[in-house]
Amino acid sequence: MVLSQKFHEAFKGTVERITNPRTVSAFKEKGVLSINEFIVAGDNLVSKCPTWSWESGEPSKRKSYLPTEKQFLITRNVPCLRRAASVEEEYEAAGGEFLLDNEDNDGWLATHGKPKETKSDDEENLPSMETIEISKKNTIQSISSYFGGEEEDDIPDMAGYEEADNVIETDAATLQSTYLVAHEPDDDNILRTRTYDVSITYDKYYQTPRVWLTGYDESRMLLLPEDVLEDVSQDHARKTVTIEDHPHLPGKHASVHPCRHGAVMKKIIDVLMSRGVEPEVDKYLFLFLKFVASVIPTIEYDYTMDFDLGSSST
Amino acid sequence: MAGHESRPVLQFAPFQSSVDEGFWHRLSSLKLNKLGIDDSPIPITGFYAPSAHPQVSNYLTLLAESLPTEPCEQSSVAMVIRGNRNRCSAPGILYNTNTLEGFHAIDKQSLLKAEAKKVWESIHSGEAEEDSAILSRFLLISFADLKKWSFHYWFAFPALVLDPPATLLDLRPASQYFSIQEHVMTGATRAQRQVESPSAVENRYLLVSRGIFCFSSQEAKKYESLVDVPFFLLSISSNSHATVRHLKDWEACQHGEQKLLFGFYDPCHLPNNPGWPLRNLLAFICSRWKLEKVHFFCYRENRGFADLGFSLVGEALMSVPQGWEDPQHIPSAVGWELNRGKKVPRCISLAKSMDPTRLAISAA
Repeated sequence: MVLSQKFHEAFKGTVERITNPRTVSAFKEKGVLSINEFIVAGDNLVSKCPTWSWESGEPSKRKSYLPTEKQFLITRNVPCLRRAASVEEEYEAAGGEFLLDNEDNDGWLATHGKPKETKSDDEENLPSMETIEISKKNTIQSISSYFGGEEEDDIPDMAGYEEADNVIETDAATLQSTYLVAHEPDDDNILRTRTYDVSITYDKYYQTPRVWLTGYDESRMLLLPEDVLEDVSQDHARKTVTIEDHPHLPGKHASVHPCRHGAVMKKIIDVLMSRGVEPEVDKYLFLFLKFVASVIPTIEYDYTMDFDLGSSST
Repeated sequence: MAGHESRPVLQFAPFQSSVDEGFWHRLSSLKLNKLGIDDSPIPITGFYAPSAHPQVSNYLTLLAESLPTEPCEQSSVAMVIRGNRNRCSAPGILYNTNTLEGFHAIDKQSLLKAEAKKVWESIHSGEAEEDSAILSRFLLISFADLKKWSFHYWFAFPALVLDPPATLLDLRPASQYFSIQEHVMTGATRAQRQVESPSAVENRYLLVSRGIFCFSSQEAKKYESLVDVPFFLLSISSNSHATVRHLKDWEACQHGEQKLLFGFYDPCHLPNNPGWPLRNLLAFICSRWKLEKVHFFCYRENRGFADLGFSLVGEALMSVPQGWEDPQHIPSAVGWELNRGKKVPRCISLAKSMDPTRLAISAA
C-alpha cells in the first residue's frame, strides 16, 4: 500500500472516530447519505432486489452507529461472464461508448463514437492510488496464485494424491464435469465465467455507500484482488478502484473509492431534478448501483426495478 | 419392463462448494485460541440458495458464521439468521486434522459412509420429514496449516445411490409444464410488487409459494416460515390453485384430486439436469412412501424472483431398491467433490491476508 494512502486512512479513521455521524439529510444538496437514509435505502434495495441481503459481518468489526443486523449489504455469486478489458476493446473497435466528462471520473457513458486517443500519458502520471499493471494479453487465462501452486512451493503437488476410492465419477446418476457443459461450445466462456460477491458498506467519512468486490474463478476459488481489476472498466481500474481492508469482512478486497461518490450522485440527482423528477432517498442505492455499473460493466449484479425516474437515457 | 433401458438415466449436477475467506479466518482463530490439538469433528452450517442466474449455479457456501463462535466474542445476533432465502442452511460436519499427513490419511470412504448413514437414519426415523434440510447434509475434511497460512480441504455431499438409478420420463421448463396443465402462470411476484399482466387475469394461476410468489401480505406471512425450507410440496388442486406445503403434509394431501409435485431449491442452472439436492429427496420419497413415479419441481430464480422458464418440472421413474425396507441396510453413497474434474483436494493460501509478517511488510 502506498504511504500516502496509509496516511489518508489514518486521517480518515481519526476523523471518523471524532465526528458524529450525519443525521441531517443532505441528499439533494450534496449527494450524500445520513446513516438512517442508508438504512432506508438499503431496506428498499433488499425488498426490491431479493438477491441482496443485510449482513452483520465480523463481530469485532461492527460499527456501533449501524444496527447489528444491518451492517452492510451483500449479493453473492453474481456472474461476470466477460472481462471488462476485452469488452472495452470491442467497444472501442466499434467506436462505442466513451466516458463523458472524463476528468471528473463521473462514469457517465455516451454512446457516440470515441475519438481514438492514446491513454498512455494518462497512465504514466497516475496519482497515488495503488497502480497495478494489467497486461491485456493474459487477462483471460491468468489463474491467481492463491491456489495454483505456481510460485508457492509450500503447496505440495496434489496430483500425487489423486484417489480412486468412492468418487462420484463411477456413478451413472452423476452428471460429469459441470462447468464444461455449463456453456455452449464457445470455449472462451468456460474460462471467463467468474463470480463475484458484491458488498455495499457505509463510508462514514465520505457519507456515501461504498462498493466492495470479492472475485472467484470458474471453480469458485478466490481471485487475487489484482485479478479483480480485470473486471473493472480500465478507466477506473488504475484510478478509482483500490485494494483495501474490508470494513466488515476479513482480507483485502477491491473497492471503488468513494471520494467522488457524493459529487457524482449530486450530479445525477441534479439531472433528474432538471427533468422534473423528484428523487426519493430510498431510491438512492438504485441510482448509485446504476452509476457503479459503469465502473464494473460486466458484473451482472441486480439493481433494476420498475421505478419511475423520468426518462434516463443511459 | 420392456423399454425401461431406453429411457435416459436421471443425471444430477453435482453440488459445488465455495468457501468465504472469513471461514478460514475464523477456523484459524478457533484452532489457535480454543481447539488446540483437539481434532474432534465440529458441526458446521453451510448455506445455499436457488440458482439465481441462468448462467451460473449456486454454491454450498461456508462463511465465518458457519463455524461456532468463540465464547469470548459477543454474539448478540443469533448465529444463523433464519428466514433469509439467500441462505438456506444445510448441516455439515468438519474434520480438521492436525497434520497434512493426517489429512491425506483420512479414510474418506468410511467418513462419507458415516454421513450417508445419518441421512439414511433421518429418513427412517422420520426426522427428515420434519426438518428436510438434513437431506442436504455435507462433510468437509481439512488441514489448516497455520505456519504457512494455507488450507487443504475437500468437500463431500453424500447422496444415497438408487440402484437401479431413476430414469427420466419427462423434463421441461416449468412454464411449459404449467401451460400444458392449462394454467396461465403469471410471472413471479412478491408481496411488495403489484401483480402485472392484466391479459392473464381470467385464467390467472398464481403459484402461491415461498413468500416469493405470494400476492397478499397476509399470505406472505403464512408462508414466511417456509421461505428458507429448501424442500417442499407443491400441491395443485383441481381448481388450479397451487399451495406450498411442508413435506410432512404429504399424507394429508393423499385424499382429494390434487396433483403433487416435490419441489426443491435448485442450486443448479443447467437446462437439462436437476441439481444434487434432488438425489436424497428422491431417495427419501422412495424409501418413505415407496413411490415409483414422481413429479419434481426444480425451483430456480432470475434476479431474485421465481423464473418458471428457467425452473424445471420433471417426471422420474424409480423402483424401490432391494433391501431398502431394512433400516439396517445402508445404501451406498457417492459425493466427493471433484477439483477441476480431478479427484484431488483443494488448497488455498491466505498468507497474503493472514501472515503477520507479510501484513507488516505490505503496511510499511
